[in-house]
Amino acid sequence: MSDTKPDLELDLRGLLCPMPMVKVSQNISKVPVGGTVRAVATDAGSMADIPAWAKSTGNEVVQAEKVGSEYVFLVKRVK
Amino acid sequence: MEKQELETIIGTLGKRMNRQLKEYLDVCVRCAICKDACHQYVATQDMTYLPAHRAELVRAVYRKYFTKAGQFMPAVYEARDPDEHLLDDLYRSTYACTGCRRCMYYCPFSIDTQWVISAAKAMLIAAGRGNEMLGQLADAALFKGDNIEMFRDNLVEGFREIETQVRDITKNPEAEIPVDRQGADMLYVALAGSHSILPAAIIFNEAKASWTLSMFEAANYGFFFGDPDKARLIAKRFMDEAKRLGVKEVVITECGHAYRVAELFYEAWAKERMPFKVVHILEVIDRYVKEGRIKVDPRGIREKVTYHDPCQIGRNGGIYEQPRDIVKAIAPDFVDMTPNREKQWCCGGGGGIVAMEEFNEVRLKSGDMKVEQIKATGASVLACPCENCRLQIGELNEVHDLGLRVVPVMDLVVEAMGFGHAAGTTGDERDAAEAVV
Ligand code: SF4
Ligand code: SF4
Repeated sequence: MSDTKPDLELDLRGLLCPMPMVKVSQNISKVPVGGTVRAVATDAGSMADIPAWAKSTGNEVVQAEKVGSEYVFLVKRVK
Repeated sequence: MEKQELETIIGTLGKRMNRQLKEYLDVCVRCAICKDACHQYVATQDMTYLPAHRAELVRAVYRKYFTKAGQFMPAVYEARDPDEHLLDDLYRSTYACTGCRRCMYYCPFSIDTQWVISAAKAMLIAAGRGNEMLGQLADAALFKGDNIEMFRDNLVEGFREIETQVRDITKNPEAEIPVDRQGADMLYVALAGSHSILPAAIIFNEAKASWTLSMFEAANYGFFFGDPDKARLIAKRFMDEAKRLGVKEVVITECGHAYRVAELFYEAWAKERMPFKVVHILEVIDRYVKEGRIKVDPRGIREKVTYHDPCQIGRNGGIYEQPRDIVKAIAPDFVDMTPNREKQWCCGGGGGIVAMEEFNEVRLKSGDMKVEQIKATGASVLACPCENCRLQIGELNEVHDLGLRVVPVMDLVVEAMGFGHAAGTTGDERDAAEAVV
């Protein structure tokens, strides 16, 4: 995972899809443009949902990886 | 307001103007009976949420642009332009509506306020005022569908992990999660999360059903957003897959709006008859229990259990008895809420409102009647076959300290199948929801 310190951390463990995507979407505006949100989810569906949300909203998933039973995302606010 | 914007809004309303909408706009006698039917109005006493008022905002524009009387004497006939003030009011009353249609049930003229609300959403979208979050979620679903190859490996890997869990729980090394299987009898349309696949997969395997998953999910934020084209395209993915695979039934998971879209709206939107039936997963499980295709312990759930009729499955979908029959087959201490079936109170979580933070206050307040209903049953387990309802009731459970286990019906069935596998609680999920740091 990137060493970049995120502007916001979201603990989305236990949330069921599509709520991890909803929470990232609701919180992205809390970081400045160019800033990042680090989100940790446990629902496997988030591996497709969060990148799809980022692509369709013009934001960027800098990293998405599975760490043990968790899915960790670093999402950059582009606009 | 710019002339062009006005024309776009009026043109959009004009395109929606069929006989049904015209009738709903013409016949309201302002008796206000619907006010006591709407959970949001009853809980808040705020005019914004009075069903007839929500529709009245559309009516005022209709009178001004579609009736002679309103055109010539707007003040007398309360005819209005869709100005900024009206659109602000329309936005709040429209996107807060959960689409439960309890108001229609009690209206002496059966005016379907939700139908009028769908026209209101079209007007708002035309004015560039559609709800941003719902629009984003709909677009994300469309993007995922258009680029499914990008996500296929992740999705299949997720399915294989759930398959391993199914084998561990059932101790059946042959248990499987078929994907894109040509000629299967049923296409099961789940939600994106594993929680809606695992219990169904256990049940299908035990029943030795011929079934398959596809890459496409049931949730439809295009419907909540209010754009029928987006809603149709999102549902079209799994409908097309069902045709390609040649299934006899499309089985929708425990999700209210997804069932209503697939069963009641899709054929009209697509202008096409589908060569298969659309059923709700609980209709299938009810069949399996009654035919003895799955073995359940009639005392499998020892706690007192109640059942919440999700509006889109019950009042708007007509499914009342199968879920109750399933629960009664596994839980001897079953108690219904009062009122129930077509008269049940909306829990307050429908219409995509759980995704729109701006309505959190009214959403939680509007659950007051549901909380009282649940408390009166004395139940400690609430079976609920809708994802949005479970999110809402899960949060009400936390806020009001109800000490409930809020679970999908199929999770209870798996619990009663004797594998020693207990369903999770929605309370835990809400804890996580609040743990945003
Ligand atoms: S109950 Fe029906 S007729 Fe009466 S105010 Fe409400 S919508 Fe109008
Ligand atoms: S559909 Fe439900 S939420 Fe909407 S106005 Fe009618 S009763 Fe209220």
